[in-house]
Amino acid sequence: MDMSQSNHPTEASDEAALLRRYAEGDPVAARLLAGQMTPRVFGHAMRMLGNHAEAEDVTQEAMMRLWRIAPDWREGDAKVSTWLYRVTANLCTDRLRKRGTMGLDEVAEPEDPQMSAEQNMQQTARVDALQKALNTLPDRQRQAVVLRHIDGLANPEIAAILEVGVEAVESLTARGKRALKQALEEKRDALGFSDE
Amino acid sequence: MSDKNHNDDIELEALFANARAHPPVVPHEMMARVIADAKTMQPSGTGPRWRNWFAAFGGLPALGGLVTATCVGFWMGVAPPDIVPDLAAAVMGVETTANPEYEGSVINGYGWDIGEG
Repeated sequence: MDMSQSNHPTEASDEAALLRRYAEGDPVAARLLAGQMTPRVFGHAMRMLGNHAEAEDVTQEAMMRLWRIAPDWREGDAKVSTWLYRVTANLCTDRLRKRGTMGLDEVAEPEDPQMSAEQNMQQTARVDALQKALNTLPDRQRQAVVLRHIDGLANPEIAAILEVGVEAVESLTARGKRALKQALEEKRDALGFSDE
Repeated sequence: MSDKNHNDDIELEALFANARAHPPVVPHEMMARVIADAKTMQPSGTGPRWRNWFAAFGGLPALGGLVTATCVGFWMGVAPPDIVPDLAAAVMGVETTANPEYEGSVINGYGWDIGEG
């Protein structure tokens, strides 16, 4: 797994420079920022919430906060994407808390418009199975696992996003992975793993 | 690590890899809304130096006060109220009187006559 991409030393300064250009009124920067950041935010929100409509709401709100803070952004304070992930994670946590005691069966099934009927059914089954298993994890474990293993962030950045120490991140991801394995155990045959 | 654990790790990593390879697709309508928000919220094309100077100066209220003070000062310079010369004399502790000897002098302005008594 390539975890180095998100930690490229120039990425943080590129993001900050783009945000500065946006704040200075550059219309191209607005499109570039939206194009770069929206898929990351939406992807994370989808994995966290497992619901398309809620993920859209969270994404729009998170991006709105980015536009709002742009004029006051100080380079060197934090990485823009880290800050945005933190906002997204907090918005997702708020949503999950509001769901309260809602059972998992009441949560909308994961949707992915990219998956069409022509595409491989096993691939669809694997994506859905992982999402359902993620939905069974406690919020913090789910956040840590998604950030680490799907969003591909390094532990120090995840620690900054979740506002915990690196050791806590390691613990959360380890426990999350163990729980995922248990949740997926009985679906191994259906996912085609028994023959591999 | 047992073989089973090792296999479980491999299978889980395969699921993660599959998820990374097929991220949720951002709906066009949502992207359009995000870009529309960005344009709505975007500051106008003024540069940050101007904004910083403006903010350091105190923003719009301070600028409004400065403009008002400037207008009042200009007005008093052009058409000073009658009370102004008396006030100046009271503050400076001197009295001025018209002196015919100085009429036509080139230095009867700028207060030189007042300073020299």
